[in-house]
Amino acid sequence: MHRSRLSALPRAHRASATLVACAALIACAVLALSCASRHPDARTAAETALHARYFGSTTPPKDNVFRFNNGAEPETYDPGIAVGQPDGRAARILFEGLTIPDPQTLEPRPAQASRWELSADGLTYTFHLRPGLQWSDGAPLTANDFLWSWMRVLRPSNAGRYASLMYPIDHAEEYNKGHADSSSVGLSAPDDTTFIVRLASPTPYFVFLTQFYTFCPTPRFAIEQYGDQWTRPGKIVSNGAYVLSEWRQQDRFVFTKNPRYWDAANVKLDRIEAYSVDDLNTSVNLYKSGAIAWTTSGYIPSTFIPYLRDFKDYQHGAYQGTYFYSINVTRKPLDNVWVRRALNWSIDRVSITRDLLKRSREPWGDFCPSGYPGYTPPPQIGFDPVKAREYLAKGGYPGGKGFPKISIMFNSSEDHKRLAEAIQQMWKRYLNIDIELSNQEWGSFLQATTAVQYDIARRSWIGDYLDPTTFLGCMMTGDGNNRAHYSNPRYDHLLHQAARELVPEKRLAMLSEAEKILLDDSPVLPVYQYSVNDLVKPYVHGIWPTALDTHPLAHVYIDREWEQHLAPVAGMAPVARVTPGPSARLAAIAGRFPIEETP
Amino acid sequence: MFTYIVRRVLLIVPTLWVIATLTFFMMRLAPGGPFRAERDIPPAAMEQLRHKYGLDRPLGEQYGRFLVHAVTLDFGVSYKYPGRTVREIIFEAFPVSAELGGWALLLAVLAGVPIGVLAAVKRNTGADYSAMGVALAGVSIPNFVLGPALVLGLSLTIFLLPPALWHGPASRVLPVLTLSATYLAYIARLTRAGMLEVLRQDYIRTARAKGLSERVVVFKHALRLGFLPVVSFLGPAAARIVMGSIVVESIFAVPGLGRYLVNAAFNRDYTLVLGTVLFYALFLIVLNLLVDVAYAVLDPRVELG
Repeated sequence: MHRSRLSALPRAHRASATLVACAALIACAVLALSCASRHPDARTAAETALHARYFGSTTPPKDNVFRFNNGAEPETYDPGIAVGQPDGRAARILFEGLTIPDPQTLEPRPAQASRWELSADGLTYTFHLRPGLQWSDGAPLTANDFLWSWMRVLRPSNAGRYASLMYPIDHAEEYNKGHADSSSVGLSAPDDTTFIVRLASPTPYFVFLTQFYTFCPTPRFAIEQYGDQWTRPGKIVSNGAYVLSEWRQQDRFVFTKNPRYWDAANVKLDRIEAYSVDDLNTSVNLYKSGAIAWTTSGYIPSTFIPYLRDFKDYQHGAYQGTYFYSINVTRKPLDNVWVRRALNWSIDRVSITRDLLKRSREPWGDFCPSGYPGYTPPPQIGFDPVKAREYLAKGGYPGGKGFPKISIMFNSSEDHKRLAEAIQQMWKRYLNIDIELSNQEWGSFLQATTAVQYDIARRSWIGDYLDPTTFLGCMMTGDGNNRAHYSNPRYDHLLHQAARELVPEKRLAMLSEAEKILLDDSPVLPVYQYSVNDLVKPYVHGIWPTALDTHPLAHVYIDREWEQHLAPVAGMAPVARVTPGPSARLAAIAGRFPIEETP
Repeated sequence: MFTYIVRRVLLIVPTLWVIATLTFFMMRLAPGGPFRAERDIPPAAMEQLRHKYGLDRPLGEQYGRFLVHAVTLDFGVSYKYPGRTVREIIFEAFPVSAELGGWALLLAVLAGVPIGVLAAVKRNTGADYSAMGVALAGVSIPNFVLGPALVLGLSLTIFLLPPALWHGPASRVLPVLTLSATYLAYIARLTRAGMLEVLRQDYIRTARAKGLSERVVVFKHALRLGFLPVVSFLGPAAARIVMGSIVVESIFAVPGLGRYLVNAAFNRDYTLVLGTVLFYALFLIVLNLLVDVAYAVLDPRVELG
């Protein structure tokens, strides 16, 4: 009946009705597409002129509060068990270790400890705490608090994922693994302000480690009273520049200035609000609107980066991590070193980073990233299709003939997929071999990589401190992170030898030789080095891109006259470009974080 | 009707048991576990974690313990977020989703029903076509397109509303609009279809013949039955909208339950998955029951039993 009525309508009326409906549809479609037209490359000249300098609002907030996006919801901010950037950032706002890193160079600076000495044999550190240190509830903070907190991290039942960072301490590894008694661990607190650390062997980067959140003191009385709940607002007691006054899951942390902090006179903010926004677009929207003043690195969609480069509030720098493909060396034909070399030398890293990643990453052919002080890395794996074809022929597959079907496995993500497709095409073009792609959901991917059930898998690694061992160590025979099942006695021997070597130059030379062996054996195919990319409002002072993406926030402040201060110093931090090789800026002993790539 | 309701309520228990059992074992079948990470966990630490959460016990025993605790609505602690109980996570996140969903549903009904009635009464006129054209667009445009479009227009071009974050009344506007659009459009279409059906019925003709005003005919006699398709849609729709939408909650950074539903499964957070799935199931079952009861109240021809 409905239909018959429609057909009975006058023709003109029907047409106009259809027009109205179409117009409504088109209006909605235009509205919907208008966001697509914001694609970085499609901006108009007027738009560019309007926002030429800064991305979005540059009006400082009315209150003296620093707001930023901390990223994914932290699993915990208990410094003793925290892992990952968002967790670490929250923990660092609340807690402070013996040292803190310089916000630009990351060099360790005195914090809870005012000074320290190293014994002549390089094995014993004596840290002198500042007198009169207090917890945020007014209780005195002594060397015993450090002793208890570090032992807590090492306690096997604590199951701390970062306990291994403390392994340089004498007998720490044995105790953590349940093979030694707690009393044998090389820590002692002879008096309230003296904390003595005895190392198992000389560790050039140990002082840097003391700024890492795992090494922060935690309040014994609160932990013993409240158990797992001790980090809740109202229960938590901390020793950093801020205390936690409010927390709502998946939403926000509110940190208020801690009047009992030893350097409270130089803490200029009233509050820090850290939001837990995991959506990348939302993060940038909030920044543009001025609701937040800082998007932490990793929370900008990669497609925005070429566009954001024109803005003065965009910061970019080298990050101590590499993206690589791990090869299961136990599977045929990948057990053949010539095949692995062929695969390694036929990846056009420059084209990948230039065309696919729009120069947001640096092409990289070493396993360790750039920037280790004093370290001369071995020559990088290059791109040489002729050489690669020769290698493949030596491996028994001249012209790619008879090469079995193998697959590249990656966790579901558009970026990993596009990169895998590019490499698939390169291997087809240069080696004439067919590779399949296998896309796995995150949990399944982790299971398959830990069980080494794959041919080739996407991986990435971010070390914990600024020394090649943090990368090279995880390719030793039997290491839990050696998911290639790679094993070379010469490689292992060099690393063991380096661990006992007291002369730094000799030690680093051994490590460089080990890395050369690793690249030659090619159980890993490095692709690019990571970079830090973030946006900071020009009125925020004190945040620079650092090699470890570590940002002490204690002395960050809001500069309301930022426009006047702009002229001579050009406002924000210098934009640091990635420069391969050792860099003076990174010449501090530094530490790093794991990459937790979520699906 | 009372015995019917009692029977349905009693049926909830076995239904939930089946859902719980299926979820429990399906989660365990998925590869990986809650403590896997890109970075290796030392075997000793992994052992400690598994022991702490009872994952080192036989599966049957784990299942038994889970059932016993589930009866008291105790699902244990989340594996992903140590120190947070599943109950606490649900109780904190659900009210947020419920508020967002409640406003969205209210808007969808308050706007969708009048639009549908108007379109039905003025059928085949310009008003009808434009209303249904907009409704078609509302049904077709996914919220991950509508949400960013609204943000672009109302937050980043004219700085009228906050682009995200759940803080203050203004922050509610965009997520509520985005979430309700599809439901509003769907309800308008359902109402129109239902009303057209009813307006053709004999009893409406009788009502008109008695000389009742058109207003009384439409709103008192026709709408009561014409609203029925909307009622049956509202049950599952309310459950879905109130439990939160991962898309809308992500776009607007709303701290609701929708994000947990999906992410818990990715993280193999067994306890959180079970807690949220059972909570959702219970909600859905209860709402379906309410719909059936509402049917009987609205339509005298329906007999429960």
